[in-house]
Amino acid sequence: MAEEVTSTKKRCIGVDCPNEAGTLQCPTCLKIGKESSFCSQDCFKRSWSEHKAVHKTASTALYNPFPTFPFTGSLRPIYPLSPRRPVPDSIPHPNYARDGDPKYTYADRNKIRILDKDQQEGMRKVCRLSREVLDIAAREVKPGVTTDHIDEVVHKACIERNAYPSPLNYVNFPKSVCTSVNEVICHGIPDKRILLEGDIVNLDVSLYHNGFHGDLNETYYVGPLARSDPSSVRVVETARECLNEAIKLVKPGMAFRDPGGVIEKHAKSRGCSVIKTYCGHGVNALFHGAPSVPHYAKNKAVGVAKPGMTFTIEPMISLGTYKDKTWPDDWTSVTQDGSRTAQFEHTLLVTEDGVEVLTARMADSPGGPVAMPPEVKADGDADGKAGNSN
Amino acid sequence: MDLEEDGPPDLVDISGLNKPAPSPITTQMQDLGLSKVPLTIVTGYLGAGKTTLVNYILREQHGKRIAVILNEFGDSADIEKALTVTKDGQETQEWLELGNGCLCCSIKDSSVNAIESLMDRRGSFDYIMLETSGLADPGNLAPLFWVDDGLGSSIYLDGIVTLVDAKNILLSLDEPPVETPEHDNEQPGLHLTTAHLQISHADVIVINKCDSVAADQLSAVESRIRSINGLAKIHKTQYSQVSQLESFLLDLHAYDGIDNLDTASQGHSHLDPTISTLTIPLPTLSPSHLPHLESWLRSLLWDRILPPSPTNQPQTSPAPTTPALDIHRLKGRVLTTEGKQLMIQGVREVFEMVELDGRAEGKGKLVLIGKLGGMDLEILEGSLRGFLEG
Repeated sequence: MAEEVTSTKKRCIGVDCPNEAGTLQCPTCLKIGKESSFCSQDCFKRSWSEHKAVHKTASTALYNPFPTFPFTGSLRPIYPLSPRRPVPDSIPHPNYARDGDPKYTYADRNKIRILDKDQQEGMRKVCRLSREVLDIAAREVKPGVTTDHIDEVVHKACIERNAYPSPLNYVNFPKSVCTSVNEVICHGIPDKRILLEGDIVNLDVSLYHNGFHGDLNETYYVGPLARSDPSSVRVVETARECLNEAIKLVKPGMAFRDPGGVIEKHAKSRGCSVIKTYCGHGVNALFHGAPSVPHYAKNKAVGVAKPGMTFTIEPMISLGTYKDKTWPDDWTSVTQDGSRTAQFEHTLLVTEDGVEVLTARMADSPGGPVAMPPEVKADGDADGKAGNSN
Repeated sequence: MDLEEDGPPDLVDISGLNKPAPSPITTQMQDLGLSKVPLTIVTGYLGAGKTTLVNYILREQHGKRIAVILNEFGDSADIEKALTVTKDGQETQEWLELGNGCLCCSIKDSSVNAIESLMDRRGSFDYIMLETSGLADPGNLAPLFWVDDGLGSSIYLDGIVTLVDAKNILLSLDEPPVETPEHDNEQPGLHLTTAHLQISHADVIVINKCDSVAADQLSAVESRIRSINGLAKIHKTQYSQVSQLESFLLDLHAYDGIDNLDTASQGHSHLDPTISTLTIPLPTLSPSHLPHLESWLRSLLWDRILPPSPTNQPQTSPAPTTPALDIHRLKGRVLTTEGKQLMIQGVREVFEMVELDGRAEGKGKLVLIGKLGGMDLEILEGSLRGFLEG
């Protein structure tokens, strides 16, 4: 399905050139994401006066901004990004909205806040709004839609709710939602990439409303092909189950080092691995604060859950390696072997005797668990590129 | 902007561009655990001889590839981007690529990532030395470099070396306290100076410029340091020259071994009113005791209170009268009734308890270094025993 670099013979696009094209391409076209193969520099030179017109018409064309970057899978960034979407001044902005700097202090990073009843109510409200926005965005997930369209939908839905989309300009993140497709672990930037039948995509939505942040994400199947692909279902459902298993632990007295063991054990039992670079975090008046909640076993995380604390758990699960690599956009995190990953996240409130899932699904929330399709006789399709191989 | 009138540029050969990342070679090497590089933190007041010591090590270890990183403010965010790599007496400057580092959701400190990526690009080092400013609190830096095993980092924290100037150290210890926001100075009269912090966290203390003081003053200096930190190895030198480097200044394995837990003096010395070292003997524990020991340590390190034993817990609020506790460094050996041996390591709030291979040797004990708030061995041991039995 998805574009794969094939070795089928191409014609040289030089004027009246009968030759086959080699691997030589016009650098300008390469920069703007257009394919133009020539047989030789001579032919290119001969065709230049006509060829360069292509560059003019392609000035609004799509392009890969990092043509020489060694991508780990088949996904590419597709630019240009749409212009920054404005947020009306009437909506309260978080402190980083202007300069991108959340200005965390030592205490922000190390002291776990305990919220009083009013603050907990503030969290309840923003988390419910965040869930509404995620559900609205998820209903747009279908083949043929760009991730930038999802961003537009999320942005508008935030503003309609008198909320600032927390990711926008957080440490200079350019968009209002993270859209992470296939091998993208997290922090994918919405762009002109079209969702394809067979993709899986994570939408990570965060809102800032009345002084509090809500934060959640889910991974969705794009079209029936994804839903029937055993590897994709295995990684998505394993991630969903890992989060559910971890939430079962949460109550006063739970150490923040504990969920990682449960998550890693469950992931391994399904032949998956746990991404270690990114962790769950405190969320309240700060977008990200103490505690850190690692998703892997044998960590040294500090702190114990107490009533009134709010934090996220958000395991990222991979079909292949746990090792990550960041694109030159400084955000998009992908698996080093290009295998697919999935993630789920809730914002949780520790109550007197357990946990309240502040971002819980509603009766009509799109997505939700899918039964494992009958495994096509174990022929080692565990390389995570299932969507591309059929 | 438009250079196209100048004629056609050179074509680009794309056959090499779309290959997957070449990084697997280095990552495989990390997987084999071939070469984890030790990182030593060097602290001490301005003028104590840090730079002389670092230069001495560079000279004595010629032929080794040693990276020296300067840290101006004692906070890793401010680690200077340039570092010096020395090999065969040749110095070269390298640049650390500190990413935008979404501080909170990435669990590894950006400076650790930067050092790792430098080693990926430029080859590994034999040693890394982090030379801090005179006012650095090493307790803030150590947890950043004491990377969780699960993260598979290519560097590890080897230990902290503190230089003190024999002539000035007693004055420094009696200075009025500096304002450190993360330390609540709730007990007036107990002066916690930067000199205290640098000594209490040290694994090795080099008393430098010994020739500048008389023998009786030198022994007063040594006694005072010993009373603060009874665990660290002490070297007395002139001109920062230490006769043997391996396992004295380098290859300390202070965070992955517990070879020497013998403290200089038994019990509790009152030579320094602020910080002291205390050794608590540990009985052989049954596996069911271990969670109790862990909760006791959590209470001590995270809540900074001496926990009442669970059996006779007063129903009123939890131990409001516990004097200010602040443990800087923790080391211990636990022997179990099954003949196993566990290592306890801690710095500030971060601690771990891990099983060691091999036969159990020696006696079980816990060594605490920090602000003990006037509590003596009897109180601490009583609390621990009550807790273990409860």
